[in-house]
Amino acid sequence: MNKRIRHLMFGLMVCYVALFVSLQIPQMFKSKALNDNVANTRQVEQVFDKPRGNIITADGVVIARSVPSKPGDRFKYQREYPRGEVFAAITGYFTLANGASQVERVFNDTLSGKGIPLRNLGDLVGRTDPTGDVYLTIRADYQELAAKLLGKREGSIVMMDPRTGAILALYSWPSYDPNLIATHNSKDATKQLEKLFADKRKPLLANAYQERYMPGSTFKLVTTSTALKTGVVTPDTVFADENKYLPPQTTDPIENYGGKSCGGDLREVFRRSCNTPFARIAVLLGGDRFVQGANDFGLNEAPPFDLPSPAASFVSAPGETFDDKQPVLAQRGFGAESVQLTPLQLAMVAATIANGGNEMAPHVVARTADSNGGTVTTTRPTVWKVAMTKSVADTMVDLMIGVVKGPNGTAQGRFSLPNGIQVAAKTGTAQLNPKGQEQRSHAWITAFAPAKAPQVVVAVMLKGVNAVISAGTGGRLAGPIANQLLNFAILHP
Amino acid sequence: MSNSPIASRRRNHELVLILMAAVLTGGAYLLASLGKTSDIPANLIGFLIIVLGLLVAAHVVTRFLAAGADATLLPLAALLNGIGYVFIVRVDTRNRLAGLQSVWTFLGIGLYVAVLVLVRRVPDLARYKWTMLFLGASLLVLPMVPGIGTFNGTNARLWISVGPFSVQPGEFAKIFLAIFFAAYLAENRELIATGNWRVWKFNLPQPRDLLPIVMAWGFSVVVLVGQKDLGSSLLFFTLFVVLLWVATERASFLAVGGVLFATGAVIAWRVFSNVQSRVTLWLDPWSKFGGTTVGGDKGRQAVQAWFAFANGGLFGTGLGQGSPNKIPAVQNDYIFAAIGEELGLVGSTAILIAFLLVIGAGLSIAVKAQRTFEKLLATGLTTILGVQAFVIMGGVTRLLPLTGVTLPFVSYGGSSLIANFALLGLLMRISDSAARRNRELPDTPTLSERMAARNLRRQIAKADRIAAKTGNTGRTGAVS
Repeated sequence: MNKRIRHLMFGLMVCYVALFVSLQIPQMFKSKALNDNVANTRQVEQVFDKPRGNIITADGVVIARSVPSKPGDRFKYQREYPRGEVFAAITGYFTLANGASQVERVFNDTLSGKGIPLRNLGDLVGRTDPTGDVYLTIRADYQELAAKLLGKREGSIVMMDPRTGAILALYSWPSYDPNLIATHNSKDATKQLEKLFADKRKPLLANAYQERYMPGSTFKLVTTSTALKTGVVTPDTVFADENKYLPPQTTDPIENYGGKSCGGDLREVFRRSCNTPFARIAVLLGGDRFVQGANDFGLNEAPPFDLPSPAASFVSAPGETFDDKQPVLAQRGFGAESVQLTPLQLAMVAATIANGGNEMAPHVVARTADSNGGTVTTTRPTVWKVAMTKSVADTMVDLMIGVVKGPNGTAQGRFSLPNGIQVAAKTGTAQLNPKGQEQRSHAWITAFAPAKAPQVVVAVMLKGVNAVISAGTGGRLAGPIANQLLNFAILHP
Repeated sequence: MSNSPIASRRRNHELVLILMAAVLTGGAYLLASLGKTSDIPANLIGFLIIVLGLLVAAHVVTRFLAAGADATLLPLAALLNGIGYVFIVRVDTRNRLAGLQSVWTFLGIGLYVAVLVLVRRVPDLARYKWTMLFLGASLLVLPMVPGIGTFNGTNARLWISVGPFSVQPGEFAKIFLAIFFAAYLAENRELIATGNWRVWKFNLPQPRDLLPIVMAWGFSVVVLVGQKDLGSSLLFFTLFVVLLWVATERASFLAVGGVLFATGAVIAWRVFSNVQSRVTLWLDPWSKFGGTTVGGDKGRQAVQAWFAFANGGLFGTGLGQGSPNKIPAVQNDYIFAAIGEELGLVGSTAILIAFLLVIGAGLSIAVKAQRTFEKLLATGLTTILGVQAFVIMGGVTRLLPLTGVTLPFVSYGGSSLIANFALLGLLMRISDSAARRNRELPDTPTLSERMAARNLRRQIAKADRIAAKTGNTGRTGAVS
């Protein structure tokens, strides 16, 4: 009988091995498909029945948090954004049925606690809050001021620390209130989202880094630094006083802003923002060196960023050559034709100059931490591109100081900082429509201070959507906003 | 208590393993509470003391009454029961089942002790085989008795009401019938195996020899099928075929059993609408999931169980972190899915391994036992445990169609838990008996044997006195 009993043992073992194999199907092979099944609400409910960590600004303001739901809610916790619209581009939203965006999406593991390691046995039993917090580089006071200064004007504001790439403020209007999307009433949330999707001004996109616009004269920062580092020009290079320039291969001349006559050495044409000299410089550089100069700033690619889907600025298409397109090259030289920059990348161009030629990778998250504040990960500042030498950068700073200080500078008298701190800036007024049609212009400025030891860079863009903005220039419209932001930042470092 | 070094080493191993099972259970209890409410349970220390107290009590009784028995069975049962208890507490939304389950555990361990106390000599059981058959059969019919039975022709659960409680007599019936089968086959196995009834080219067993067992089995299967308890009928059928095969050593019984099973399955599928619906739910539970019509949501258990396993993945969500309550009645048939969700593939595999170890220990007891009846009884009892666990876990993972039986020691349910502890007691008794027969420890006489021996001595002394008086010194025939 013992032999039969052993056979029985073998038979039962086979049964259990079959059981083990059958467990693999739902637990391993089909696990993902089953978890993603729409009828399977487990994971969503697990998430919404648990608290989620905070998103906290550099000055300690909580801009996203979990609060106990109101009575009658299906779930235990409700996601809340106390200053909804102001920080929407950074926090994004975290929803039941519509996914998540921005920091809520990228740092989901930290906020949910999945990415928070246990440090010791004490954590295992003693840590009652397993979630993690995300600490930003964003300054709530800067961000609030930016939102207030921009008001109900379409546009974007970016502030950053040129030394580290830390983003201090990132705002665009129109924005949206993430609280309306985070409601557990999925029908309302979806309706709200559909409304925002249908809005032509794209409020759901963080326009400050996900949309690109014609940069106008601010692009001369790129053309000029490229020309300086390749030796095509020096600050002393003199350009003829002219009101139009006819590039090769065309009969359509390039005019200065307002058809004025403009000329002088590089310092003068830069601070007065003449167009014809920079059209000439682009032609002198030639297509290859011009494109290389833009690529040195990373302008034809999306910058590395810890927020999702940054847009790439556009200077030239991949493989595009200008040998038979000299007029196009000339126009792109002063930021016209099809050149488009994101406000973030304009701020990065200025920050590169401010940082002696080293372009830092931008980031909004300073560190992640467990609920007791213990750091889990820290963002280390990294150099993304080296766009120019320190001496070229110093020359560029001098040119930009001229814009603020020199006679006829486009931002002359726009800045006044405490203790006479010097500002360096470049303005831009991007004319959107060809001559003869109704004029539409974006007003730009980028500036940093203190000019010789920069701590903060600001880029302001006002979209040319109405006659008031279109009639103004970057210096006149965007300048005062930049001035107030720099003042505030210098007084509240 | 025994002085045998083998026995004391075995019991010491058992104690260490029991302590490990208690630590695992206590740890799981703590983690489940932390995971669910982020609180350390207030009654943690009390819980640990009670768990440990019950298990150590069972261990001490074993040390005295079955010192030579296998060292792993009791700790394995304790572990399965402990993990099951933690999950019942965890899925118990009305705070009612957990308290009851601890009462059942207490009663179960009580019955384990009672079995060890009452059944001192295994062959005694064989002497009462017809009583066992009668008890087993009566228990099976009880749910159909009007007044106490809850059987109403539609539900598949076999209950009787005893005061405020419901009892599933079928859980106890399986033990009585296993004893009957083992005892009958131990007596008649050679007759059945030789088979001197020649039909055409085959030697078949005399119908007379097989009749009682076939009737016993047929009766239980018919009753169970009539009550629509498919899981239990499958269990009895398997028990019958396995014991017949092991006892006669003739594989043809397996083949015949297989054919009978296949035929029975097809007929059941044709005749019973609930068998058809079980098969549909097994092959495609999605078709009956989320519907609002009658029966349109019958697949919910199966689908949610798969969602639970998927949610668990390799390492599980962690205790108290899953949503096992989405599976209707998860504490009964589907407790295994809750374990798979919160402890992952690792945890569900650990449960599989624990049952395999129980099977291994049970069958090695059967191998070591010398008496045919003990061998067959150990085989039968182990088969009941192993097959029942396999059938329900296979039903939950959808390896097999679901047949509602409990997962031994793990599921919620008083009858099941108490009966399985009694079953465990019998296995331990057989194991101890085998150890004594193998001279691993001295075979000390039981109290009743000592009493009988004393009576015998008295009678002999009395006979001697009479003989001395009458002058007849020959003892032969003095005692009859």
